[in-house]
Amino acid sequence: MRGEILRLYKSVHTWTGIVTGMLLFVCFYAGALTIFAEPLAHWASPPAGGSISIEAADRLIEKTLAARPEAAKDFTLRLATANEPARLSWRKSRSDDVVWSATLGADGEARIERANVSGLGAFVDTIHRTAGLPLDRETGTTVMGVVSAVYAVALVSGLILVLPSLAKDFLALRFTGNLKRMWLDAHNLVGVASFPFHLVIALTAVVFGLHEPIYDALDHAVYDGRLPTIMRSTGPFAGVKRDEQKAPIKKVAELVAAVASASPNFSPASLHYRDAGTHGALVRVIGEDPRFLSRGGGFAVLRGATAEIVNVDYLPEKQSGWTAAVSPFFALHFGSYGGVPVRWAYFFLGLAGAFLFYSGNLLWIESRRRTARRHGEQVVQTTASRLMAAASIGVCLGCVCALSVAIVSTKWLYGHVEDVDAWRRGIYHAVFFGALAFALLRGAARAGAELAYAAALGALALPVTSVAAWAAPGLGPWAAVDPESAGVDIVAFGAALCFATLGRATARRAELGPTDSVWSARRPREASRGLRIPLSSNERAAAIGAGDGDVHG
Amino acid sequence: MAEFRRDWLSKSVAGSVLGFTLAVALAGLFAVAGPGGLEARNKYQFVMWLVAPVWLGVAGFVFLFRSGRVAFLWLGGANLLAFGGLYLCRRLLH
Repeated sequence: MRGEILRLYKSVHTWTGIVTGMLLFVCFYAGALTIFAEPLAHWASPPAGGSISIEAADRLIEKTLAARPEAAKDFTLRLATANEPARLSWRKSRSDDVVWSATLGADGEARIERANVSGLGAFVDTIHRTAGLPLDRETGTTVMGVVSAVYAVALVSGLILVLPSLAKDFLALRFTGNLKRMWLDAHNLVGVASFPFHLVIALTAVVFGLHEPIYDALDHAVYDGRLPTIMRSTGPFAGVKRDEQKAPIKKVAELVAAVASASPNFSPASLHYRDAGTHGALVRVIGEDPRFLSRGGGFAVLRGATAEIVNVDYLPEKQSGWTAAVSPFFALHFGSYGGVPVRWAYFFLGLAGAFLFYSGNLLWIESRRRTARRHGEQVVQTTASRLMAAASIGVCLGCVCALSVAIVSTKWLYGHVEDVDAWRRGIYHAVFFGALAFALLRGAARAGAELAYAAALGALALPVTSVAAWAAPGLGPWAAVDPESAGVDIVAFGAALCFATLGRATARRAELGPTDSVWSARRPREASRGLRIPLSSNERAAAIGAGDGDVHG
Repeated sequence: MAEFRRDWLSKSVAGSVLGFTLAVALAGLFAVAGPGGLEARNKYQFVMWLVAPVWLGVAGFVFLFRSGRVAFLWLGGANLLAFGGLYLCRRLLH
């Protein structure tokens, strides 16, 4: 019976993994990048001159609201950092997707434009949440909530599978002749070592994607429809009524100081204003306190007209009770605790997760191959394993290429097109689906090597852009020589080397590896001439359907 | 011992559907009878977070049941108990 249970769990693990693996690869790769979304956005942003003093922020608000009164209802002020001056952003209405942004020019006037470049972080985040599916953000997030639920089942089944032989297999990485064994060992090693991380990510992603239906179910079954009322009455904005009476807004420095007196180690990064200029104005001061597990930072709510603190439930140091009980889930998903070392750990855990899904797909394909051999047939790859191999290559490497190109395009398009965000999105999808189509037409073996080289070029494009901007300033992109931008270039260069190595290894396998593999670019006949290869007409049709010279037999 | 049946479809349905309703009922029990009662400040968020681990735990381990029928019987029974308990708690505590 134990054997039967394990066999059932093996199919559960295989199918849940196959269904979700490729989408999760995209989420994990993009997710690893979102950890460093700020340096990436900074890399792509034109140098913005101007004062970084906190008084300049007040002037920015005043000038912008004078020019665009509609922004007063709801806008966000990003405080100045060492590199960049303060920036104001808003949307004309809740349903309008276009984000506007204003900075204070050297002349003391507000420079208002579409927030194209600063939107790079949001772009990578959207890809992370929606797996880059061409859906709107909400639908994509809900779809990925369901996918994450299936992924949680894949995790549990994977754990059940490795449990019986955990002690024996965990640290074993057998580099002996059996390549499949080695892939399996690597898949198990990464899977077991990062299991807690994956469990946390899966469960939190389910909640992020599906919290609305879950709340609906709870409201129906438990709260008798009173849940929305309960939420509103304890929400961070509760207790403050809208009041249209005019009242000047407190200065940024005063608002920040009020929060500092409540929590001295909290460092504010942005201020979110609601109904600015009225008596009922509210300001959410958002920032971080890496000493605590909190939800990707935290915030305090203040009255805009008096700088009186209204709510500290979400301030990392002050959170208590049920808010504090929930915050760790957010922190554990975002890696927003413990500062820089944890961020790098999450970056590599994210990439390792991407590897897990990639290797899982390869294992599925390889195990199909072995099954055929055991039955003493000449191995002919089924259409399913060919398509699966090609799709895995296309989706995984396609996403890697598409993200690099989309990031680089931000810098080249700036100033040439009006809506950089739409272009960036279009470029991402064009590269992604182009790579997928290329892989399906060309076959996994060749496309695997070629797309890996393309990914290397894509990553290399970042430092090349920086060098080009520095060497030829007239070309368009601007040179950024601060340490943060240089760090982005160095990491991108390292990634390019990794992808080039992957490309070389894949090319070599296509040339020298076993010819019955989907990873071989050669025909089996060249290796095993004279062998009669039995092929049913069905399989022949399938093999020919796979196309382009890879036909067996 | 009875034979182990794969029944992957019926077990999947039992795990994902009855697992979800069971998770909602158990989270509801915690909401009603747990510390602070139904209206404790921001408790509803924690209650919502309880649903996912219970639901997906059931959906993950459901394949251990001997057959799909057994899975339906056990999870159905657990649902009845949990919703019955939820109903009782609400009658008694409010």
